[in-house]
Amino acid sequence: MTAETQIDSYLTALRLHLGPLTIAEREEIVKEIAAHVRDSAEEPGASVETVLARLGPAEALAAQYREGLLIRQASRSNSPLVLLRATLRLAAKGVSGILVFFLAIFGYAVGGGLVLTALLKPIFPANTGVWFDGEGHFMSSGVLFPPPGSQAHEVLGFWYLPLALIAGSLTLLATTWAIQTSLRVSQRWQSRL
Amino acid sequence: MAKTRTTAAEADQPDRWEAQLRKGAVEMAALASLWRGRLYGLEIIRFLENHSRLALAEGTIYPILNRLKAEGLLTSEWVEAEAGHPRKYYSLTETGRQRLRVMAEAWTSFSRGLTELLQPVLEEQENIQ
Repeated sequence: MTAETQIDSYLTALRLHLGPLTIAEREEIVKEIAAHVRDSAEEPGASVETVLARLGPAEALAAQYREGLLIRQASRSNSPLVLLRATLRLAAKGVSGILVFFLAIFGYAVGGGLVLTALLKPIFPANTGVWFDGEGHFMSSGVLFPPPGSQAHEVLGFWYLPLALIAGSLTLLATTWAIQTSLRVSQRWQSRL
Repeated sequence: MAKTRTTAAEADQPDRWEAQLRKGAVEMAALASLWRGRLYGLEIIRFLENHSRLALAEGTIYPILNRLKAEGLLTSEWVEAEAGHPRKYYSLTETGRQRLRVMAEAWTSFSRGLTELLQPVLEEQENIQ
């Protein structure tokens, strides 16, 4: 392989593994690494081969870029999908990451569930609500098919809609905030280590 | 068997500790290399090699520069060079300069404290030698 083809195949591999970044970011990184390889190969006693070896495998280099980016972007994002992906990455790193991941799943499930049942209330008014039995003990809540028997009475009526909507939204907001905070903390922690 | 494993782990630990120590310092060192003016990636690597004992895997510095830039501590510009290809020069932003000042103060007071703490250890070693 000539020096040029060696450089090209390294840069192609780098570009490939930088996949999740935007095209502009990716091309900028590739351009910078290309300049680095050409400049260092011209230093006395250096060759393209040794320079590429010192850079390490393209895949590992790309991984270092991606790692920083995913968590950084996610700590500013509100999208559950982006946040969950970032917590999954965090979970791979240790016990506290796993805890954050499960809390995230739990928070989204509860919050999303509440909002969903609120929206179902106008469609299935008799099946949606919070039920207590005759002695005032909580029986169940949510959307039930069939609705609980005659000994149960629903306590909220149409108040269920705004209340579940508010409670669900607050849960989703709190979950988002908690994930973003833990991502920021982990980022700071990572950059110190 | 168990003893061998312990010894291997013990021997391995100082290396890992030193590697982590270096890694923690790289960010500050990269910022410090730009204190007097803009440099491009390879210049930063060579600067760190010459002015500190921070010999890095060359692949490490570029993702770090990328992150420091995303955090607003650095800016970058492409400059056409005689080499025939442009080079990406980095310089400190005002936030970067402030952060570096804080880091430098924290680092110096921290290392002064530790040096005092380690003085007896080092003196004993000198006596042995």
